[in-house]
Amino acid sequence: MGRLLLIWRLVRGDITRRRVQSLMLVVMIAATTATLTLSLALHGVTDSPFAHTRAATNGPDVSGLFEPDYHGTAGTLQQFKALRRAPGVIGSSGLFPITELELTYGGHKVRVHAEGRNSNRAAVDQPLLTAGQWTTPDGVVVERSFADALGVHVGDTIHLAGRALDVAGIAVTSAMATSDPLVWLDSSTLLALAGRSEPLWYALNLKLSDPAAAGTFAAAHNTPNAAWLFQSWQEIRADDSTAIADERQLLATGSVLLAIIAVAGIAVMVGGRMAEQTRRVGLLKAIGATPSLVALVLMAENLLLAAMGTIAGLAVGRVVAPALTNPGTSMLGNPGSPSLNANTVGLAAALAAVVAVAATGAPALRGARTSTIRALTDPARPPQRHDGIIDLSARLPVPLLLGLRLIARRPRRAELAIASVAIAVATFIATLMLRHTTVLGVKAAGNILAAAKQNNLDHVGNILSVILVVIAAINLLFTTWATVLDAQRPTALARSLGATPNQITGGLASAQLLPGLIAAIIGIPAGIVLYLAAGENPSQANPPILAMLAVIPATLFAIGILTAIPARIGANRPAAEVLRSE
Amino acid sequence: MRAPVAMRTPMVSARGLSKEYGSGAARVRAVRGLDLDVEAGETVAIIGPSGCGKSTLLYLLGGLERPTAGSLRLVDQPLEQLPEAGLARLRRHALGFVFQAFHLVDELTATENVELPLLLAGASPHRAHKRAADLLRSVGLADRAGHLPSALSGGQRQRVAIARALVNEPAVVLADEPTGNLDSEATTEVLRLFEQLRADGQTLVLVTHDERIAATADRLLTMRDGVLVDETRLSGGSGRSLGAITGLEE
Repeated sequence: MGRLLLIWRLVRGDITRRRVQSLMLVVMIAATTATLTLSLALHGVTDSPFAHTRAATNGPDVSGLFEPDYHGTAGTLQQFKALRRAPGVIGSSGLFPITELELTYGGHKVRVHAEGRNSNRAAVDQPLLTAGQWTTPDGVVVERSFADALGVHVGDTIHLAGRALDVAGIAVTSAMATSDPLVWLDSSTLLALAGRSEPLWYALNLKLSDPAAAGTFAAAHNTPNAAWLFQSWQEIRADDSTAIADERQLLATGSVLLAIIAVAGIAVMVGGRMAEQTRRVGLLKAIGATPSLVALVLMAENLLLAAMGTIAGLAVGRVVAPALTNPGTSMLGNPGSPSLNANTVGLAAALAAVVAVAATGAPALRGARTSTIRALTDPARPPQRHDGIIDLSARLPVPLLLGLRLIARRPRRAELAIASVAIAVATFIATLMLRHTTVLGVKAAGNILAAAKQNNLDHVGNILSVILVVIAAINLLFTTWATVLDAQRPTALARSLGATPNQITGGLASAQLLPGLIAAIIGIPAGIVLYLAAGENPSQANPPILAMLAVIPATLFAIGILTAIPARIGANRPAAEVLRSE
Repeated sequence: MRAPVAMRTPMVSARGLSKEYGSGAARVRAVRGLDLDVEAGETVAIIGPSGCGKSTLLYLLGGLERPTAGSLRLVDQPLEQLPEAGLARLRRHALGFVFQAFHLVDELTATENVELPLLLAGASPHRAHKRAADLLRSVGLADRAGHLPSALSGGQRQRVAIARALVNEPAVVLADEPTGNLDSEATTEVLRLFEQLRADGQTLVLVTHDERIAATADRLLTMRDGVLVDETRLSGGSGRSLGAITGLEE
């Protein structure tokens, strides 16, 4: 009991003494855990809305589309229609005529699939009105996600193939994936419009005695060169969930990146106070603490912070998830908050523990192994020497000379800073490309739904970018501060040898700017790779080169702003105080 | 042959110099209204017990600390009005520091440590290297030029630090307990160098609490509780071997 109390007192004392560092550690672990929770929680969230919509609209088990000029030439419309009586079929609706028409509204020109219906309720695939009423000869019913993307409401007037029609209603369906904009018209109106120039296709909806076998049924009738295509309800569900699958992939990638950034940040923090920790270990050992107790104290402190970060991250993930898992308006209902099952919680907690233990294990082990006297007197990590950098720096202006030599003293810190900033830049570039794809998508006629889905993905990318940039900025501040503390003696010495405060500030800032420059240069191609890894189409990923290159000076400017204050504080610290203390 | 002390121009001139730390009950008056002149070519030793303010005085003279009150002139330039950048430039060209803890940069070789002030002053790498090599030769460390400080003895480190202090040909060298971390043999090595500096007419202000070292100076100032309490002009310093004066060698 006394031992536990001692550990608690030491842990509490250290956390209280370095509140800001402790808080940052919690924030980093929380951000990583939250992102991981989101990506894990997104698994399966699309099932519920699709099932709900399918039940409410008496959705088909198999949807068929007769498109003789598109799919193939084998088979006639009569043969297609005869499949209503194929073995295993217990219900059907159709044939419904379909044609492609140009819809104009509010400056948009969009190619849509218009499906002809009559006033009778179909046996299978009964689009559910969420607003307005069903088709009239002068009205049109618009599929809900398309209506949202287009911004039309009941009572608005749209033009189809040049003819003005009122929006009579807005409805949802589970009969086909909503990658193509869909509207319903009175059959007679459709035939009148289609008669002008467009070809007619036909839709057929089937209910099977064994809905689970819908895939087998569709495959059996999608014969080579058939003039039709059948889609099972499982395929339709998969198509509808593509957007969320992309978001899930993006978040999974984001959580890995956040974990890397978090480890980099924690390593900088731990490295920055390695000397202090080692001396603390020496002090504890000097007053009788065993190596195992010392290790326990260090581990307990970091595990406590990791646990706090994990709990916060899980809570944030749970709260934020509904905003990211919205299935879109093509489906009914909402998946709600993803459930936090044991696997999700366990994996998130394990990740946090690994991050904390991996980053803090070094001082604990060092403390346990180092002799008490050495721990009390020796600097924890002697600076490193790099001949090439020292030779090169001698030829440079004083701020760069100092900056390069500070980098050379602690190359691992510079590497961690590069990793952290490069990840932030890469995510920003990937988001820039996503945004550009979205803009292209919106501009592309007939692709308005894809653009809306892309917009959701863009939204997730923006959130990830902001989180990563903020965490990278925090990392940068800590890296600068760690450099300022570590460089106290050399900078005080440089002051005594005639370096001006501006030169010292320049040196400390360039110790961050030079890795920042490398990170920005690495981050641009890494961002392109990240974009492609997220499953995006490279042919659409051509944002302006200048915008991408502008990321380099923008990154350096941001680093300059972030490091200016800590660097100035470091440069103005009284040199005599530092030189006298040793 | 050096000019008589009375004829020389003051290199350092302090009037009413004070330095206080903290405030209220925690206020510490490290230096209290001190007057001091150091002539060109003179070696002044300041002795006193630990905490008497002698190191603070040295840092004030070097512009590394700002005085709370009083005036200070270095090489005929008033320091109190100079901005930080101006003080830095003055240190760069007019001052050389020697510290008790050497304060060499651990990851730089002896040569690179000596080059550093020249590079900070904007000298070409070639010139800095040549000058550093010459100085290391003059302090007897030509064969240790490429060694890191960790591979040098205490005396060798201090000799590197002295070479670094001299590399910019400063008007004044300020030394804070230069032999405080050294054994007798290393102390002798360092004293020989100071003897050479004195012979060359280098102005030198030396803080120490080792009276044997202080005995090598032209003038000995005793400091206690932030004020100079005694001044002794030593006549033998320039005429005899330092080792003989201090008893560190036969």
